[in-house]
Amino acid sequence: MSAIERYCAPTSLEEAAEILRGGNVTIVAGGTDLMVQTQIGKLQFKPALMNIRRIAGMGGVRDEGKTIRIGALTTMTELLDSALVRDRLGILRQSCDQFASDQLRNAATLGGNICNASPAGDTLVPLLVLNARVVLVSKPNGNVVRRTVPLAQFFAGPGRTHRLPGELLSEIELPAPPTGFHGTFFKFGVRPALEIATISIGLGAVRDGRALRDVRVAYGSVAPTPIRGPRTEAALEGRTLDTETIEAALRAAAEEVHPISDVRASDWFRSELIRNTLRRMLSHVHQG
Amino acid sequence: MGATEQAAAQESLIGRRIPKMDAPDKASGRTRYIDDINVPGQLHAHILRSTQVHAKIRSIDTSAARALPGVHAVITARDVPWQRPIGVAKDHLPLKTDRVRSLRDEVAAVAADTPEIAAAAVKLIRVDYDPLPVVSDPHDALKPDAPLIHPEPHGDDGSPHLKPGAPVAFTGKPDNVAMTFDYAQGDVVAGEAESDMVVEDTFKLHYVTHCCMGVSGVIADFDPKGNLLLYSNTQVPFLHKREFAELLGIEPGRIRIIQPPIGGGFGSKLDIYPFEPIAIFLAQITRRPVKLVFTREEEFIASPTRQPVLLKLRSGCKRDGTLTFRTVETLHDNGAYTSWGATTPFVMMQTISSLYRVPHCQYHTKAVYTNNPYAGSFRGYGNLQATFAVEAHMDKLADAIGMDPLEFRLKNAQEPGEVTPQGMNFKTCGLKECLTTAARRSDYQRKRRENAARWNDGNPIRRGVGIAAMLHVGGGAKIYPSDGCGTILKIDDFAHVTLITGASEIGQGSETVLAQLVCEELGLPLSAVTVVNNDTDITPWDVGVHASRTTFIAGNSAIGAARQAKAKILAAAAQKSGLAGGELDLKGGHVVRTASNERVLELGKFIRSLHFSDKAQLVMTSFYYEPPSKHQDKQFRGDVSAAYAWASQVCEVEVDTDTGIARLLKVTGAHDVGRVLNRLGIEGQIEGGVVMGQGYALTENLLVEGGVTRNPNFRDYKLVTAPEIPEMDISFIETMDGEGPQGAKGVGEAPAICIAAAVANAIHNATGTRIYAAPFTPENVYRALHGAAEPPTWNAA
Amino acid sequence: MSIKVEIGFRLNGVARRVSVPADLSALRMLREELGLTGTKYGCGEGECGACTIIVDGVTVNSCLMFAADCDGRDVVTIEGLAADKRGERLRDAFVQHGAVQCGFCTPGFVVQATHLLEKHPHASSAEIQRGIEGNLCRCTGYRKIVEAIADATPAAR
Repeated sequence: MSAIERYCAPTSLEEAAEILRGGNVTIVAGGTDLMVQTQIGKLQFKPALMNIRRIAGMGGVRDEGKTIRIGALTTMTELLDSALVRDRLGILRQSCDQFASDQLRNAATLGGNICNASPAGDTLVPLLVLNARVVLVSKPNGNVVRRTVPLAQFFAGPGRTHRLPGELLSEIELPAPPTGFHGTFFKFGVRPALEIATISIGLGAVRDGRALRDVRVAYGSVAPTPIRGPRTEAALEGRTLDTETIEAALRAAAEEVHPISDVRASDWFRSELIRNTLRRMLSHVHQG
Repeated sequence: MGATEQAAAQESLIGRRIPKMDAPDKASGRTRYIDDINVPGQLHAHILRSTQVHAKIRSIDTSAARALPGVHAVITARDVPWQRPIGVAKDHLPLKTDRVRSLRDEVAAVAADTPEIAAAAVKLIRVDYDPLPVVSDPHDALKPDAPLIHPEPHGDDGSPHLKPGAPVAFTGKPDNVAMTFDYAQGDVVAGEAESDMVVEDTFKLHYVTHCCMGVSGVIADFDPKGNLLLYSNTQVPFLHKREFAELLGIEPGRIRIIQPPIGGGFGSKLDIYPFEPIAIFLAQITRRPVKLVFTREEEFIASPTRQPVLLKLRSGCKRDGTLTFRTVETLHDNGAYTSWGATTPFVMMQTISSLYRVPHCQYHTKAVYTNNPYAGSFRGYGNLQATFAVEAHMDKLADAIGMDPLEFRLKNAQEPGEVTPQGMNFKTCGLKECLTTAARRSDYQRKRRENAARWNDGNPIRRGVGIAAMLHVGGGAKIYPSDGCGTILKIDDFAHVTLITGASEIGQGSETVLAQLVCEELGLPLSAVTVVNNDTDITPWDVGVHASRTTFIAGNSAIGAARQAKAKILAAAAQKSGLAGGELDLKGGHVVRTASNERVLELGKFIRSLHFSDKAQLVMTSFYYEPPSKHQDKQFRGDVSAAYAWASQVCEVEVDTDTGIARLLKVTGAHDVGRVLNRLGIEGQIEGGVVMGQGYALTENLLVEGGVTRNPNFRDYKLVTAPEIPEMDISFIETMDGEGPQGAKGVGEAPAICIAAAVANAIHNATGTRIYAAPFTPENVYRALHGAAEPPTWNAA
Repeated sequence: MSIKVEIGFRLNGVARRVSVPADLSALRMLREELGLTGTKYGCGEGECGACTIIVDGVTVNSCLMFAADCDGRDVVTIEGLAADKRGERLRDAFVQHGAVQCGFCTPGFVVQATHLLEKHPHASSAEIQRGIEGNLCRCTGYRKIVEAIADATPAAR
C-alpha cells in the first residue's frame, strides 16, 4: 500500500474541484469500498487522500418537478428513509433495502456506489431503469464546470467509469418518472441483503390496459457493467403482456446478457436465472 | 447472603435457566481475548506462506527483509535446526525445508516492532521455487505414477535432522496413503445374501471451515531462565504443554499455558499448527515476547477444515424392514499434512456400525495425501458425513420396500441395555423416543405423504420434510491413555468456593455448569463460586475439550471434589452438633437437618471455627474422575464412551425449483441428553449446533480448486445470517444416565450432526430428487433438479 | 508510512485529540491507539459486524472507516454504552436470555441493537433479524440474540 502524503477534507465543491485539478488524488466518501480495495491491493492510494464527506450541499433528495435530484453523498439509509424515494422511486428503494447491511447502508453513498462501478452494484440497475444522469463537477481553468452524462454511458468496464481524474460526481439527476410508472428490482440471493448479486434485474414500465409502455429493463452481473436491455425492451414495448410476448422477451434477454462463470455462479446458471426470474417478474405484472 | 439468595439456594439448580457467569463481562466489552492482550515489549510476527501449491524450494533470500528498520528477526527452517515435526502423524515441520506441499505452507517468518513492519518485511522475502506437479484430487494421488507428496522422511536428504528417537508416524511410504482403517462385524456377504433389497450410492461431502469469530493467535514469552509462558487458545492445554516441550527439547514442567477467553473453538484448536511453534521460535531468537495473530483471510487459508469425504455405501434390508448389512468404503482427502481429519473414521465407524441395529458391517477408509488444505477436528468429527449417507439409505430402503420411513427406523432402533457388535453399551438410549417425539411434533408422517402427492402439480414452490437421527459419544471418548479430569476445590472462611478445574471453557458454558453442579452439592448460590480453569500452573490435568465430554467428565470430577468437601464438613458438623452425619445436609448456605431442613450451623461461621480452632483445618479437596469406558482394541471394539447421546431431527424445507433456493423453514428436534442441567445453556448449544448444521447443509462451501482456496472471506463463504434461521422446536428426552453427573450426557456436537441428512431427505420429499453431494446451494440444487448435475462417482482403487 | 492527521472528536462523551496515520482504520485507532479493545477485528471487510461502533448516531463498521474521518464527530463504542443506561438494559437482556456464548461477537451485536432499538423501538422479531443481518455469530444460532433484543424494546417493559 503506497503512503499517503497529503490528507484533506474540503467543505465546498469548489474547494474539492480545485484539489482535484492538482491531480493524484484518491477520493473517499463512506470508505466502504476504498478501505477493502486498498487493503487487498486492488487499489493503490494516490499521494493525496481527499475526504469529501464534509462538502456542504452534496446530500439529500430534492423534488424539482420535472427532475428529482439526489446528492452524491446521500447514504443508502437516507434513501431508505426518504418519503420522496419511497413514493416516487420505489425501484431504487427496493435495491437499497437489499443492500449489504444496516452498518454499510449507514456509510455507503449513492455516488460511491456509482463510482465503484461494480457490474453487480445494487443501486445501478434501478438507476438505469430510471434513466439517471450523473453530474460531474470540475475546475479545469479556474471556473467551475458541470458536465452531465447519462448513467448508461458512464460505465467503462468493471470498476471503471468515464469520470475524468479532475472531476467529482456531485449529484444524480432523475427525470421524474411518468405517471403510472412502476418499477421492480430483483436481486437473486439466499439472504435478504448482505450478498453480491449473482444476477439482478430491474423492470419498469407504465401499464396501459393490458400492455406495457415506456418499458425499461436493466440487468446486473451479466456483463462487464450493469446494462440496459434494449432488445428485451423492444420485445415488450407496447405489446399485450401475454405468454407469447413473455416468451419473446425471454428470448431477447438471452441474446443480450453475457454472463461469466466466477466463484459465485456458473454462466449457465446465471442464464437460467435470468430467464426464470424475468419470466416470473413479467408473469406477476401480467397477473397484477 | 441476602434473603432472595437464600430462598433461591434452597431450590435445586438442576434444570434451571442459569445465565453464563462470564456473560456480563462479555456483553460489556470487558473480556480480553488473545488479540486484546498485549505484553510489554512484545514484537509482532507475520508468516510468509507459499505462493506455490507444490514446489521445491530452491533458495530463500531474506536479506532485504532483515535490513528493514524495525525488524528484529527473519527466520527460515535453516535458522531453527532444532525444530521437530508436529501434528497427529508428525509429518509436518513448522518451517518448511526443501519443499512446499500446499498454499498454506509456512516458509519464513518475521518478528518486528509493529504488524505493519512485519507484513512489509514478509513482502521483501524472495523465494525461488521449482514447481512440481499439483495433485488436487485424491483419486489422482492413488495412481501408480502420482507424484509423492511426502517422498522421504524429514532429515534424510541433508535437511534439518530429527532428534534421535523422535517418534515419526510417517516413514517414507511408497505411496500417498496416509492412514487406513478397517473394521468388520458379522459377515457382509451373508448379510447381503439375506437381503431382499440392496441399494448402493456414492456420497460426497465438501470442505467447510470453522469460522470462529475470533481469529487464531498466540503470544509466546520466555523468561530469563528459559521458561516459556504461552498465551494460547488451545482446547487441550495439558497435551500441548507436553508436545511443545518435546518440540523445544525442554522439560514440560517449564512450560506454562494460559488460555485467554476464546473467540470460538468447535474443535479447531485440538492440534498444534505451525504458527504456534513459529511464534515460539521467534521469541527464543529475539528474546522478546512475540505476538502472532491471523488476518481473516489467513484464517480461511491456513486453518484446518472439516474433513471432506467421498463415501460409497451399500446397504440392505429384508422385506419385513430388518436391516441386514452395510458396506462402506471412503476416500478421505488428507491434504498435505496429517491432522485430526484423518482420524474421523474412528467416529464414522460408530455410526456405520451402530446407528440403528445392523448385524453385518464392513468398513474400509483411506486417507490420501494431496496438495490441498488439511482437515482437522470439527464439531461432529466425521459424524455429519457418515450420518448423511446412512440416513439417505434409511429413506431409500424404506421407500424400496414400501414401508413408512419412521416405522422403518423404529423397527431397527436400539433400546436401553443393548450392546452393539462393536462393543458399545447403550446403558441409556432414547433413540426411539427421540424419533417419535420429533416426528409427532413436526407432523412428519402426514406432511411427508401430502408433499409427495404434490410432485406433479406444476407449482415451482415445493415443501418437503425429512427425518434423521444420530448417535454420538456423550460421556467422553477413551482415545488417550486417560480420559479423565481433575478438580481442586476449596471453601474459604466465608463459604466462598473456588473451583479449580482442568476443563477449559470454550464458550459452551462449561464453567457455569460446573459451578452449578458444585452449588447443587454444597447448597450454595452460584454467586458463591469462582471458577479457575485457564492456567496449567494452577489447574489439574484434563485431557481437553472434545468429544462432547466436558459436562460429563469434568462434571463428575467437580461433583467428586464437592462431595468430599461435603463429607468433611458434615463429619465435623456431626461432631460439633452431636447429631449423626447421616442426619445432616447442606442447604441454603447452612448445615441443616435433612429430615426437617432445620438450620443447625451457618456454613461460613462453621468453617471459620474449623480453621481457627485447635483443629486448624481448611476445607480443601481434590478429585480425579476417570470414566468407566474402555479403549478400543485393535479391531476397534470396545465401550469407548461412558455414555452415548442420541437425537432426531425433522427438517422442513421449501424449494423453489425455478431458482434452486432451498430454505430451511423449521427444525423439530428431540435430544436424549440424559438430564438437562442448565436449560439456558443447553438450548443455546442446540440452537447454535442446528444453525451450524444448516450452514453445512445449505450455504457453506469452501471452494478448493487445484489446491487454491477461492473464497477465503465472508463475502463469498456464506455463514448463515440472522434472517435465515429456521423456526426451532426442541424437546429434551431425559433418560437419566446412571454414570452422568446428575444423569446428564454430553450434547456439544449432537445438534449439528443430522441436519444435512434430514435436509437431504426433505429435498427429496419436496421434489422427488435425491441429491448425494452437499451443500445444497441454489446452483447445486437447480442442477440436480434439471438434470445438469454429475452425481458423485466412486472410482478409487 | 502515511502522514499523520490531527483530529479532534468526541469519544464516549469525552473530547479527545489524536494524531493518526491517514490510512489507519477507525477500528485500529480505537484498539491500538486508544486501548479500547471491546470493539473487535472479525474480518476487516465489513462482512461480520464485530467492529460496529456508533458515529453521529448511526452504526458503521469501524474497520471500513478511516480514523481521520472521526474528526469533528461523535463516536460511541461498546465501552461507552456499557457505562450508561443504554447498555445496561441490553446487556441484562443478553445475559438473561443466554445470548452470549464465546462472546466475541457480542459487543458488535449490543452496539447494533442499541441503534436498532433507538430507531425502531417497536421492532418485531422479523425486523430485528433484518436489523442485525450485518452481524455474524457462530455460536448461538441467533435465536437468543433476537429474543434478548425483543425483550429490550420499550414494548417489552
